[in-house]
Amino acid sequence: MSETTNADDLTNMTFEQALEQLEKTVRKVENGELPLHETAALFQRGVRLANHCTELLAKAELKITQIQTDYGEGGESESGVRADSSQ
Amino acid sequence: MTVTQGEVYSVSDVALLIKKKISKLRDIWVEGEVSNLARSAAGHTYFTLLDEGAVLRCVMFRGGSGEREIENGAAVRAHGYVSLYEARGDLQLIADTVEPVGEGELQRKRDELEKRLRAEGLFEESRKRPIPQFPRRVGVVTSPTGSVWHDIQNVTRRRYPLVELVLAETIVQGKEAAPHIVKALGALNEDSSIDVIIVARGGGSLEDLWAFNEEDVARAIFRGNAPVVSGVGHETDWTIADLVADVRAPTPSAAAEIVLPDQVDLKAKIGAHRRYLNASMGGRIAASSREIDTLRSRLHRGLPDFDTMRLRIDDLMRTTSAHARVAVQVAGERLNGMSARLASMNPKHTLGRGYAIVQRGNLIVTDPSQVDQGDPVEVTVARGRFRAIVANGTGPAVARTRQQSRKIPPTGQASMDLSER
Repeated sequence: MSETTNADDLTNMTFEQALEQLEKTVRKVENGELPLHETAALFQRGVRLANHCTELLAKAELKITQIQTDYGEGGESESGVRADSSQ
Repeated sequence: MTVTQGEVYSVSDVALLIKKKISKLRDIWVEGEVSNLARSAAGHTYFTLLDEGAVLRCVMFRGGSGEREIENGAAVRAHGYVSLYEARGDLQLIADTVEPVGEGELQRKRDELEKRLRAEGLFEESRKRPIPQFPRRVGVVTSPTGSVWHDIQNVTRRRYPLVELVLAETIVQGKEAAPHIVKALGALNEDSSIDVIIVARGGGSLEDLWAFNEEDVARAIFRGNAPVVSGVGHETDWTIADLVADVRAPTPSAAAEIVLPDQVDLKAKIGAHRRYLNASMGGRIAASSREIDTLRSRLHRGLPDFDTMRLRIDDLMRTTSAHARVAVQVAGERLNGMSARLASMNPKHTLGRGYAIVQRGNLIVTDPSQVDQGDPVEVTVARGRFRAIVANGTGPAVARTRQQSRKIPPTGQASMDLSER
């Protein structure tokens, strides 16, 4: 109940966090015999979280990086059999 | 001329005897070079194994293991049993498994390592690390040159492009492969933000996959902090790396699928949440409106009946105005009566009947003592006024004393001056 409900807290929220919060929100609505205004607030937040999730998925672009394995240094990796011959 | 001595066997008897004699040639390995290879339409493989001094006919029925290793000129080891094909008098090896020479040795080494590491507890389910549900950075240990790396990228793009793939490049075959893989795993494990690691390689022979059966690689997988999903070779090949990995995927693509959530499922989930929220909100509003309706009708029942009150007020108004009219009428009549009486008291009417008002100055004379002889008086009659002089009075007009007044005879009469005023 402590999480704030302002609009800005969504911008930096990861997909995972937003989905988790969305599930929490749905559970609260499910469990709660809540007053109308609280249901309305949860509803609004839930919809915003759902939008945030879908937006993140829609905008996502796979990021690829490469890590230095600093193997050998002496060019061992180059002389090695770079094989994946079966493919 | 008959030289027959002793027992005579039929051909079938001999065949039977041979069969009996060779029955102990079961579960044997025969090593040799493949020649005369022929594959039948039914999927059976016919070949001969030969060495410097002998040949042995062999057949492997469809479905045998290592069928693709059988090539003319290849040095192989075939496992099976020796049988006599009576119809043709052929002795042959019925092979169920064929493997290239050298592999048997590798296999034994692999099996020995598996036994040792299993005893040590490296494959225990209890020590397997859980795969995070939503990884952010996924380490990939593989060769970037093959299709494996591309497959993993494609699967990732399709399923969960929110993730970052961190490639730790390595060679995956040959003598250098094992230490290289160990290094790549080490580099990824130094980065604590790596959530899970995929170790992948395409399919190949036991020898091709050998690096993944090396103890160093197994221990590197075991040692790291991040959970490891292996996708090495094809579905049927289980390497030591597969056994020690936290999850074993049958192929590299399958490894990526295990590691990454599928956005199709996620979108369906989000959609379901959205529909649920909409439905709850709609239901909540409907329930509240019903509540309001109920309260409204209860409120109405509790209130005084305005309509009846309105009728009563209307009624009262009408009654009141009727009463008021009567009262006004009565008052009017009284007024009229009083006017009439008032009119009847008008002295003019009295004058009309012949009376007169006698005034001395402002004083209306009602007593003869009020005037004295010679006093001028004013007489008012019905039609007007005239002046007169008192002929005999009984006293002075105003300041007369009682004694003086008594001297005036009470029957004093004014002599009238008839001059009109």
